Amino acid sequence: MHLGENIKSALKNVLSNKMRTFLTMLGIIIGIASVIAITSIGNGSQKEIEDRFDDLGVGRMTVSMRSNSPRNMYTSDALTLDDYELLKDVRGIKYISPTYQANYYSVKLLDPKETNTAQITGVGADYYDIMAPDILYGEYINQENIDNKSKTVVITDTTAQKVFGYCDESVVGQQISIKSWKGSQKFTVEGIVENPNAESEMQYENEYPESIVMPISTAQRLFGQKTLTNITLVAEDPDNTDALGERIVAMLDNFHNTSEKYTCESTTEQLEAMNEVTGTVTLLISGVAAISLIVGGIGVMNIMMVTVTERTREIGIRKSIGARNSDIMFQFVVEAIILTFMGGLLGIVFGWLAGLAAGAILGMESVVSVNSIILAVAISSAIGIIFGVYPAEKAARLDPIEALRYE
Amino acid sequence: MYRQGVLEVEALAEVDLWVKPGEFVSIMGSSGSGKSTMMNILGCLDKPTSGSYILDGIDISKTPDSKLSAIRNKKIGFVFQSFNLLPKLNAFENVELPMIYAGISKTERRKRALEALERVGLSDRIKHKPNEMSGGQRQRVAIARALVNDPAVILADEPTGNLDSKSTFEIIDIFRQLNDEGATIVMVTHEPDVASCTKRIVTFKDGRKINDETVMGGNN
Repeated sequence: MHLGENIKSALKNVLSNKMRTFLTMLGIIIGIASVIAITSIGNGSQKEIEDRFDDLGVGRMTVSMRSNSPRNMYTSDALTLDDYELLKDVRGIKYISPTYQANYYSVKLLDPKETNTAQITGVGADYYDIMAPDILYGEYINQENIDNKSKTVVITDTTAQKVFGYCDESVVGQQISIKSWKGSQKFTVEGIVENPNAESEMQYENEYPESIVMPISTAQRLFGQKTLTNITLVAEDPDNTDALGERIVAMLDNFHNTSEKYTCESTTEQLEAMNEVTGTVTLLISGVAAISLIVGGIGVMNIMMVTVTERTREIGIRKSIGARNSDIMFQFVVEAIILTFMGGLLGIVFGWLAGLAAGAILGMESVVSVNSIILAVAISSAIGIIFGVYPAEKAARLDPIEALRYE
Repeated sequence: MYRQGVLEVEALAEVDLWVKPGEFVSIMGSSGSGKSTMMNILGCLDKPTSGSYILDGIDISKTPDSKLSAIRNKKIGFVFQSFNLLPKLNAFENVELPMIYAGISKTERRKRALEALERVGLSDRIKHKPNEMSGGQRQRVAIARALVNDPAVILADEPTGNLDSKSTFEIIDIFRQLNDEGATIVMVTHEPDVASCTKRIVTFKDGRKINDETVMGGNN
């Protein structure tokens, strides 16, 4: 029997009992929809992580103590500018900058009564090249600022808006007040950079701290510290960060006479680690969702068994006028595949919508990949074959004489 | 003229039956007389445990089961007491079905199905489903389906058993007309006046052929 005729007649049968067809497909719909929704959220978060890391740059590495708790900061093994000097001339490093980071201080806003937390980062002269921020006005921290321990800062456009109420050329050279429990000090704005996260921070008003960059020397004096939070660098060869990292760690351990006290992590490694975690979680939840596909498949098999019994006489008639066993078999398998295939298509639509909805609620992007759609269609059709073959074979093996006698 | 083959049965109960092309035979007998088994064997739905059945030159008793469906499809046209049409298909689609299994092209199927429906006088009912037609009309669709693949023999199993007398003789007329045009027909019936419309009456009792007579001239 011709495939086209077979599909046509199968569709006719499937559509002749819409309610039953829908209920049978429901298992497949739910299964495929949940797999699609989960993978779309998984893909979305993976993409988000990758975008974040793209902002962070390729081949960037961070040297820090392995256990970076505050107490370690005061041990003699804490990173200092000496370590920075030690590493500065290591081959394979393109840019390197010491950083000191603290959140303890606050910054006065436009309304004199209001302040917001300040995330202060003390940096070296290479920091600009490492982070490559977009400078809107003025200049970035340079070596001269560092040598002079000058009280200069680089702020973001969002901070400028909050502190001065506007953001243009004239903000450069003005002063902002950074407050501690000891009192406030004034710093001159040296430059303004664009805040890459301005859009998302905008929604949360003052929940994000004001990000302020100053010379490392100034920061260390402000906080009364000789230590560093970490040393940030960019490798000349971004594809070969592992060897460089090992070399740096060895040098530091040797210098401090310690063993594996320091780590040098590259952004690529972190990205891979994060992706692996989200990938595993997505796979795990998809696996659970896939169980519902098996349940759906059993539902299809059950209804196909009922259909074969109900249509015993039809099978007898078809056989008497010349249908071969393979024709009957094929007819019922095609019906099962159509059931699961249509269920799969509906599942993709619902899963896509569910992914969008969940993404909107969780504030995540949902990405439906072509791969997951192809996979969903393939899996649902395969379920049709797997769970359709047994009932179809039962139909094909019916004895025509008895089938014709069936009432 | 019509076909060179012969139809010969050597049944279990020492039955010899030889039907020539162009014959119109009725098989009579009470229930349990073995006529249903006879029909199943003639229709290639069953095989004799011993002896042989030769249809149109093919020894069916030696043909593997997998080939029987093709033989049913091309050599035999069934007409049943309860019509056995597919309820979801209309008259045209029911008639088309054997040709689909025969692998005939769509245009050819259409041509032959319309032709067959015209021969049974149903050209104006092709889009009707079985439940929209009278018993006589349904049986005429079944006859059109039976003859559409131009079979060696049309096997009718109590074709008038579910019909009123008016429809019964309409159907008999169609069979006679088809037979006049050359079709070979074997019909099981227990109604003597239906059997008397055929050209030859074979009577079974307890699995044996007890009588085989030629109806002179036939009764109209």
